[in-house]
Amino acid sequence: MDVLLDGLAEALRLLATGDEDTWAITALTLRVSLTATAVALLLGLPLGVGVALGRFPGRRVLLAGANTGMGLPPVVVGLFVTVLLWRSGPLGGLDLLYTPTAMIVAQAAIATPIVVALVAVAVQQVDPEFRIQMQGLGAGRLRSLLALLSEARLPLLAATMAAFGAVVSEVGAAQMVGGNLVGQTRVLTTAAVLATSRGQFALAIAFGLILLGIAFAVNLTLTLVQQRRTADR
Amino acid sequence: MTPGLSCRDLSVHADGRELVQAATLHVPAGRTLAVLGPNGAGKSTLLRALGLLGRHRTTGEVLLDGRPVTPTQMRAAVGAVLQRPILRRGTVVANVASGLRFRGVGRREADDRARPWLDALGIAHLAARDARTLSGGEAQRVSIARALAVGPRVLLLDEPFTGLDPTTRADLVADLRAALDHHAAAAVLVTHDRHEALALAHDTALLIRGRVRQHGPTRCVLDDPRDPETARLLGYTNLVPPGTSGRPHTLAARPEHCRLVPGATDPADVPEALLVVAGTLRRGVRLGRTTRLDVDTPAGPLTCLDPDEPPAPIPPTNSPVVVAVGRARPLRAD
Repeated sequence: MDVLLDGLAEALRLLATGDEDTWAITALTLRVSLTATAVALLLGLPLGVGVALGRFPGRRVLLAGANTGMGLPPVVVGLFVTVLLWRSGPLGGLDLLYTPTAMIVAQAAIATPIVVALVAVAVQQVDPEFRIQMQGLGAGRLRSLLALLSEARLPLLAATMAAFGAVVSEVGAAQMVGGNLVGQTRVLTTAAVLATSRGQFALAIAFGLILLGIAFAVNLTLTLVQQRRTADR
Repeated sequence: MTPGLSCRDLSVHADGRELVQAATLHVPAGRTLAVLGPNGAGKSTLLRALGLLGRHRTTGEVLLDGRPVTPTQMRAAVGAVLQRPILRRGTVVANVASGLRFRGVGRREADDRARPWLDALGIAHLAARDARTLSGGEAQRVSIARALAVGPRVLLLDEPFTGLDPTTRADLVADLRAALDHHAAAAVLVTHDRHEALALAHDTALLIRGRVRQHGPTRCVLDDPRDPETARLLGYTNLVPPGTSGRPHTLAARPEHCRLVPGATDPADVPEALLVVAGTLRRGVRLGRTTRLDVDTPAGPLTCLDPDEPPAPIPPTNSPVVVAVGRARPLRAD
């Protein structure tokens, strides 16, 4: 218990004194995970809407695939991305392995199925006649689709939170494709793992606290947006 | 061509079969056409085809003011009320204004233009309420106000009174009638209730199994069934074939125009009725103010609705009875 309390005290001191490395790691974590979430939304939103509203063969298989992908182990994704980006691999020429870009690619691959599956559910929850009713009030195809997304905005924001939560907290893929290089690809999760393995519990706890803080801040922002929109219109 | 909505050789297909076919229909601006039909007749499909809504494959033409209409032109002209009121998240006034917002009207102006319709439909006191907290009747009022607020040239109403209690329904029918009277829209009302057609529509088309069987002024159509199916739809559920009546056509009568002749067991006892048919009583059920009597006759089953004022005794089941038909229509297409 003492180890934990001492660690907590030391962690707070580290945070209060503002260690430069710690802030660099935090900034990189935010950059990688937010970008990966944005990429996942960019890919997953149209895909999820398409799967939810489309009528094409293989639609249900695609949906089942996305649902399975929600539980995709980051280590497996990390492995695939590593193989792809390996010097002798198919995309080795891009020289991306052990860079933040590689981490973004891996984390986006983790988050995209989550976004697809949750967006599909969000869209399917809206009345199936909704778009016809909107078109019956003068909305064109695009306007009626936007109205549908607006109607589903609460679960859509929840999908965003789930995607961000999944990537900011994962360690396997970040470690494998990033390599935990100090000053280059070290993020909070990989830093916490390293500190723990070295017995630097205070440092590890500090990273853990920052991670929790980030997750909370991002989700608080999204929740406030979500609930504010509910309150007005 | 007078202004309004019409169609030419309209046909809707799904899964390789024809759901609805309408050769020509014309709804002049300022008038209402009721599409009356039983469940599953294709009424909603026809309505949606006329509004270029929905995803079924459609052939033929929909015309606005005599010219073939594009989806974009139709969007600018249409206001639709579907069976279930599908409201958006947000306040009642935002919902009523949403059609105007789709047409590019600014939020404040849209809200201002929506308010008179809140008054017209009796929902002004609900303006700031969350639309998800409304009762079924209130939500349907919002849905109707929302369609009217866009000032539609084409108003499509798909059984807008389904699932409402009788009082709410009667009030809403009156409110809608009043609103339509001040409107120059070509309105199409889908319904399976002939009383709604009578209350709201100048003209009525009878749709059975995807085909328009009759079309004309509502009063004429409702009182002039041409064949057994339209007779049934219009409440003329008692059919007496020529073999029994001795007339050239099958006769159709409403149950309320058929009476059991008290004490009579032989048609010769009742000289004054239009038609008398002998049969046996299958059952008699008291339904509050009326008594329903189901009689089996050689011509088929007949139903009588006798007023209970004064309450008449119900003859024993399986006893011989005589049904007097007071008013009947010949089915000329028969």
